[in-house]
Amino acid sequence: MVDPIGAGMIGLAAAIAVGASGIAAAMGEQAIGSAAIGVMAEDEGFFGRGLVMTVIPESIVIFGLVVALILLFVTLPRL
Amino acid sequence: MFKPQEMSKVIIAGTKDYMKAAIDVLYAHDVVHITEFSEESEDFKIGTPYPEATKLSEQAISLRSIANYLNIKGKEDVSTKYTVDSLETTFNEKIERLNFEVSKVIQKISELDSQIKDFTDKNKQLDPIKSFDIPLEMYRGYESIAVFVGLIKGQLSIDNITTDYYLESTPYSRGNVIALFVPKAFETEVFTALQEQNLAAISIPEIEGVPKELISEFDVKVSGLESERETTRADLKKLQQEYIDYILALDEYLLIETQKAEAPLNFATTKNTFIVEGWIPTKRLEQVQGDIDDTTNGQCVLGIDKSEAAAVEKVPIALENPIPTKPYEVFIKAFSLPKFNEIDPTTFMFFWYPFFFGLMLGDIGYGITVVAISAIVRWKIKSRGLRALAGVGIYAGVVSIVFGFIYNEFFGVEVFGERGLLSFIYAYPTIPRFDNVLNLLIVTMVLGIIHLSLGYVVGFKNEYTQHGLKHAVYTKLSWLLILYGGVIAIVIILPQLTRGSGISFSSGLVAGLALAVIGVIFLILGEGVIGIAELPSLLSNVLSYTRLVSIGVASAGIALAVNKLSDALFISKGGFFLILGALMLIAGHAINTALGILDSGLQSLRLHYVEFFTKFYRGGGLKYKPFGFERKYTEEK
Repeated sequence: MVDPIGAGMIGLAAAIAVGASGIAAAMGEQAIGSAAIGVMAEDEGFFGRGLVMTVIPESIVIFGLVVALILLFVTLPRL
Repeated sequence: MFKPQEMSKVIIAGTKDYMKAAIDVLYAHDVVHITEFSEESEDFKIGTPYPEATKLSEQAISLRSIANYLNIKGKEDVSTKYTVDSLETTFNEKIERLNFEVSKVIQKISELDSQIKDFTDKNKQLDPIKSFDIPLEMYRGYESIAVFVGLIKGQLSIDNITTDYYLESTPYSRGNVIALFVPKAFETEVFTALQEQNLAAISIPEIEGVPKELISEFDVKVSGLESERETTRADLKKLQQEYIDYILALDEYLLIETQKAEAPLNFATTKNTFIVEGWIPTKRLEQVQGDIDDTTNGQCVLGIDKSEAAAVEKVPIALENPIPTKPYEVFIKAFSLPKFNEIDPTTFMFFWYPFFFGLMLGDIGYGITVVAISAIVRWKIKSRGLRALAGVGIYAGVVSIVFGFIYNEFFGVEVFGERGLLSFIYAYPTIPRFDNVLNLLIVTMVLGIIHLSLGYVVGFKNEYTQHGLKHAVYTKLSWLLILYGGVIAIVIILPQLTRGSGISFSSGLVAGLALAVIGVIFLILGEGVIGIAELPSLLSNVLSYTRLVSIGVASAGIALAVNKLSDALFISKGGFFLILGALMLIAGHAINTALGILDSGLQSLRLHYVEFFTKFYRGGGLKYKPFGFERKYTEEK
């Protein structure tokens, strides 16, 4: 029998992991994105590299996502 | 395959009498990358362009302006090619005639434009007062009467000043248009009163007649002029169709001739001789050498510079890969071209990029969509960059389909097996993603370790060729030792920690730690103590590969959500709701496909650029730009 409060807590924890890391990633991407657009105004050929640089902070939210996945698919079923 | 094209440094020298012939040969071959000569000295001066260069570029400019008027962009496909000879003899007078014909039509159009504008402007002026039946000449020429025409807010109230006036008024826009006639004596007072009502004066055109009649008269004129303008534009279109072949060919011819005429600007010259330095793909060397010799009767020679100095100079880089892997060059070019003694990573990306992409997207339906979109792009679009990306897309889509079978997913729906859509088909051992998150996380970290190791091995090779064995051991082998030592140690320690049994030192653990310590020592020897600061990046590099699962599961989650929602909200209700449900499915999966392509594509690229390339790749190679031109609209005899 799964403890409903415990399960809910795990759900919330997963949500916080993704949500908070998403905000953090967004903050990083904001600065890089605007700088990349600035370079593109000078040199349109930078588009590809700019796009890749902009997604670099995405690692943060991906780690959040990994934590959430482990919580939901590994920890929760074992409860 | 792993190396850029082999280049030889060449020096071409000869007497100035044969410079033009030499330029023609080099240009026609389109293979020699000329190094600009910039350091003038007492003996060697920068060459002067041939005198026709100025004339040619002037003609090119007037031709471009004609092309601009005729709306010729310069990339059109045309059927006829012109020979260089036929262009050479005719182009001067032809440009003159074209200029005359086109500017005649253009001038006519602009005259018509200004006439049309004139009448429409007048109509705009007359529009507010069109309901007043006062002829325009009645608004002016009085000695004792002042006239105010304009737009005011609210109703006119000047009765406290005088009642001796004539007023026409009608609502217009957000106020009233008035035409007010008052004795001159009250002019200033009335004007002040009107200003308080925000008078916006309307100027009356200096023509005669009743506004309403004038407006309809002008409308007729405008439509007449407009149809004339249409016929003139059709004339222009006719001119465009008639001359497009010729203009494109001539533009190309002028560009080529200008480039040839200006070529000596990159040469070193003395009073009677010239010298060109450059690079040529080694396999083309003999052919060009022979041709120069033949054409100039041995008055110009092409020699190879094998000096030490040449070897360390900036070698231009032309990537050389077999056709199947060629599309992946676009990623290398976007990052940075390799140096001449560096390994070209295109072939690695050919294997790993679609593999990572498919691992993330992993859905039969989405895979088919990616292949279909890529095939259409490749078939319909001419842009080289997009075609290359589409080529990559086809590989990536096919691998996604393969992983779709492994994950057993079709647009997020289970296909085979007892829970699947096609339950009558026997379920081979599939790996559903939602049930195997932990296993997949481990698998991706292992993949990451393999990928990083490959990076270090390639890095070892690069360092070995560039700086020798010792440097390669210190900077690359060190990291490999740390990586594997660390992995062994963590694999042994982690289960002990999760069991809470405390760490017991086994021989495996000691061996792992020893490897790592040796690695760290090498690292410090190679890069100094500061190298230790880089150690944590290794862990985050390995963990970074877990994105292969998390992005995949997130994308599969969105697909599942789209399916479940459209089923619960619409499809289960049947009837009309089926249509809504279908629309939601299409829109949802379209968005998820776009997200899936963008995210899987970018993250796979990122794993290469950030995690993989940093282990071995420096780049910074110079782009190979051969002196010459690929003719499209013209042909040489």
